[in-house]
Amino acid sequence: MCYRFLVSLGALSVLLAAPILAQTSGGVPRTPDGHPDLQGIWTNATITPLERPDALAGKATVTDAEAKVLEAKSANELAEADGKSEGPLLTATGSAGTGGYNALFIDRGSEFARVDGVKRTSLIIDPPDGKVPRMSADAGRRLIASYVGGGFNSVKERPLSERCLIGFGSTSGPPMLPVLYNNNYQIVQTPDSVLILVEMVHDARIIRMNATHAPPDVRQWLGDSVGHWDGDTLVVDTTNFTDKTRFRGSTENLHVVERFTRIDAGTILYRATIEDPAAFSRPWTIEYPFLATPGPIYEYACHEGNYAETDILGGARKKEAEAGRN
Amino acid sequence: MKIRFFAVVAAATFILGAAPAWAHHAFAAEFDAKKPVHLVGVVTKVELINPHAWIHVDVTGPDGKVTSWMIEAGSPNVLLRRGFTKATVAPGTQVIVDGYQSKDGSLRANGKDITLPDGRKLFLGSSGTGAPYDPKK
Repeated sequence: MCYRFLVSLGALSVLLAAPILAQTSGGVPRTPDGHPDLQGIWTNATITPLERPDALAGKATVTDAEAKVLEAKSANELAEADGKSEGPLLTATGSAGTGGYNALFIDRGSEFARVDGVKRTSLIIDPPDGKVPRMSADAGRRLIASYVGGGFNSVKERPLSERCLIGFGSTSGPPMLPVLYNNNYQIVQTPDSVLILVEMVHDARIIRMNATHAPPDVRQWLGDSVGHWDGDTLVVDTTNFTDKTRFRGSTENLHVVERFTRIDAGTILYRATIEDPAAFSRPWTIEYPFLATPGPIYEYACHEGNYAETDILGGARKKEAEAGRN
Repeated sequence: MKIRFFAVVAAATFILGAAPAWAHHAFAAEFDAKKPVHLVGVVTKVELINPHAWIHVDVTGPDGKVTSWMIEAGSPNVLLRRGFTKATVAPGTQVIVDGYQSKDGSLRANGKDITLPDGRKLFLGSSGTGAPYDPKK
């Protein structure tokens, strides 16, 4: 019994010691099997938008001095919007509304994404114009429906993020895009699987290493992800999406290939190529860093107090009742 | 030079302007932009829950009648990272809330801005918060 306890204890100490034994080469920590160690807590928060703003057309990068001006401007606008509520509130009466919350709500970083030492003006790196390729008419309709939902008759008609089923703006993706807040991820890695815990909304992506995809009739919210190592880069191939997920108006045949490269102790370079001929005229690619962050990750059990849903459906019922009286 | 300056301003506006569309739910779906509310009341409870924290506030009307409002705040995760806990606004604290009432007419509103009696903005988190990516870090 005592021996067994000691064996268990020995096994435990090996487990505990493993991260310490991990080798480091070129500043990149490695797991005992020699692959780069991607484990830790990461954030992809950035103010670089998915698509390059028209005002910066032809300018894929900005100098640090230019970035500083833009970043300060962005921070100032956020601060200005805070604390000046009453005037805009009253002005908004009769208008479409401001649709806003105070600045504390927003936690999307304060800097442009830096890759290869320079700051970028769009997450999209291909096409070179930094814009989503031409979308089919059907994709455009699906994109709008994914934002506004199909109606107010049932919870099932509401957008997926409003229902707390998946994160808004493709947080868990794939591809995993930065959004307004909670841009935090934890990666846990073994030789057989890589798990990515996505803070918003409580999603765990499980990537099966060196495996084949599930049969075509198996469809999942986050698709089916399989991975392999290409040198020091983790390559994750995802298919088998549902026909409800609709990333940027895509179909269930969306195909995403992600590449995770730990380029230094504090950075994973993330690149994803998005392909769906029924939605986009050509494949497109995004690239940005995931930066190490102290954490911790908090729970985001989204449906816990989702009063918004009752308010939204209740508002529609009230409108109907008012229309009936007229 | 002047053209370049305007380009920069436009870009920044675009970047920030794109943000509000990407929230957990569309503002306009839940709240009525034609029903701004200005409430002065006392905090009775703070619910630090997902996907939004809710602050319960009792408001005494001119006739002495007390109505209980619920104010929608940010994601609890963001609040925690800013150092905001359930203890930050203790029951009994007086607050001023500017926001919009829910479309269904219930006593719920979004907390566009929440102010303490001394003028401090409860949620002003633009600097010095210690949050990830805080400019001071």
